[in-house]
Amino acid sequence: MLKLTNLYACYGAVDVLKDVSIEVNEGEFVAIVGPNGAGKTTLFKAISGLVTPSRGNVYFAEHNLLKVSPHQRAHLGIAHVPEGRQVFPSLTILENLALGASTASGQRDWNDNLEKIFSWFPVLKIRQHQRAGSLSGGEQQMLAIGRGIAASPRLLLLDEPSMGLSPLIADEISERLVEIHRSSKLSVLLVEQRVAEALHYANRGYVLETGRVVLSGSQASLQQDDRIRQVYLGM
Amino acid sequence: MDVVQYIENFLQSFAAGILTGVIYGLMCVGLTVIFGVMRVINFAQGEFMMLGMYFTYFMFSWLGGYPFFDGLYFPFVLALLAGPVLFGVGNLVHRGLLQKVTGQNASRLEGGGHYAQLVLTFGLALVLQNGGLWLFGSTLVSVPSELSYSAWEMGPLYQDRIIIFINQNQSIAALLALAVVLVFARYMARSRLGKSLRAAADNPEAAVYMGIDVSRAHRIAFGFGVGITAIGGGLLASNAPFQPYIGTDYVIIMYAGVVMGGLGSIRGAFLGGLSIGILQQVSASFLPNQLQNTMIFTCFLLTILLRPQGLFGLRERVA
Ligand SMILES: Nc1ncnc2c1ncn2[C@@H]1O[C@H](COP(=O)(O)OP(=O)(O)O)[C@@H](O)[C@H]1O
Ligand SMILES: [Mg+2]
Repeated sequence: MLKLTNLYACYGAVDVLKDVSIEVNEGEFVAIVGPNGAGKTTLFKAISGLVTPSRGNVYFAEHNLLKVSPHQRAHLGIAHVPEGRQVFPSLTILENLALGASTASGQRDWNDNLEKIFSWFPVLKIRQHQRAGSLSGGEQQMLAIGRGIAASPRLLLLDEPSMGLSPLIADEISERLVEIHRSSKLSVLLVEQRVAEALHYANRGYVLETGRVVLSGSQASLQQDDRIRQVYLGM
Repeated sequence: MDVVQYIENFLQSFAAGILTGVIYGLMCVGLTVIFGVMRVINFAQGEFMMLGMYFTYFMFSWLGGYPFFDGLYFPFVLALLAGPVLFGVGNLVHRGLLQKVTGQNASRLEGGGHYAQLVLTFGLALVLQNGGLWLFGSTLVSVPSELSYSAWEMGPLYQDRIIIFINQNQSIAALLALAVVLVFARYMARSRLGKSLRAAADNPEAAVYMGIDVSRAHRIAFGFGVGITAIGGGLLASNAPFQPYIGTDYVIIMYAGVVMGGLGSIRGAFLGGLSIGILQQVSASFLPNQLQNTMIFTCFLLTILLRPQGLFGLRERVA
């Protein structure tokens, strides 16, 4: 459903993505792991249109995304939960969720989605009329995810949802993500630095280092790969 | 001057200050919407106010003689109408000019586009002033209003020694200005469009991820901002005579009000404008004429020094 082919992207003269090809199929949970500065966030921005690739193609379902303006991509069914959460701090939680539901499908499913989001993240229900800026980091992450779900997307992009959170809260959020993936027909593309956890949940994974895909494969093959075990899993 | 007369003077100028201040407040709201959503300092805001004044003036000169349009309240209708008309003008100005140096396009420019924005809006102000001079002439004009000569009397108070006159024309203008502010604030708070404008103000990148067309949000915000300020201009058009350069006097007042109130919040901008109106009128009756604006800027500087977030700087933002 999502297909990136031989993608290049740069900031100024610096190439950040080099010949990246990645695919996510209907209903899959795919992880991208890699060190800081590898280009993972840039890759997501290329999918969402905030970064324009210098070469290569991005397809989503039957659409050539490079011909779709950035804000329209959300309406095609891509929900981007960005790095650092980026909730709207001066808006209430409910307003944040309502903005997530700007898409036609989000409008249609609003009541169902809200009920689901509140059942996954009860704290959002309790605080629904508070400003998002008053939430803790973990709560903001839950809101950012809820805001993505509220769009009724076909593909959920998650950029380091555990960043800056305590392991306990990060685990809780990971469990919810698996639950969300299981109970809806969503495809999920997850960027994580917590490699062991990411590979535990994902069906497939890619390893991105300095802008290149250096390794890819199924969950089992990556978990057993010697290099991954040494570099990322510390075994 | 004895004390009672002093008090009477004070109350009289305070009342006049509230009436003018509410209109300044309205104009400040227009400015703050643009700043809040687009992060653009619009130097041409005073000229859009001037266009609102001339719109009201010319429409009244054109239609005011005809039956049905000759009512006492027709200038107020025209002032309100200046809003949607200047909304349209603002839309076009954004599409043709500002869009090139704001939003997504800004990141490609030096200094995040701010230099280009300053030059552009400053240039726009000059073009509108000189264009106005060419089209409208330099003669002072104003919208004639019978109501300007009528006042309601408050009082007599305090053993019949104090009477305060409330100008009817200014009162109606102030009530309309207040109504526009309240309706607009509510619209921004409640409507879907208002929410998406606030989202674009809070975080334009995340707004794109929500499927919001940020460029369109900017266009609408600019239209709103310009239209709201133009209504303020229209409401002032029967107050005092004006010419095409009047915007320069007012843009300073608007900026002082917006900064004093706390950048980016509707309530702050309104209260900031209101404070400036009161300061201006009160100091007018107690200080020599040439010190009037000095008073405003003294208070302005004190605010900046003592409360940089503005007098009413609240956490809530615009927009
Ligand atoms: N806006 C930017 N301008 C210039 N360089 C950038 C910008 N954003 C990221 N980079 C650089 O691009 C590289 C990849 O960054 P990023 O995509 O954020 O990596 P990751 O998400 O994997 O940590 C890094 O070297 C980073 O310094
Ligand atoms: Mg990143």
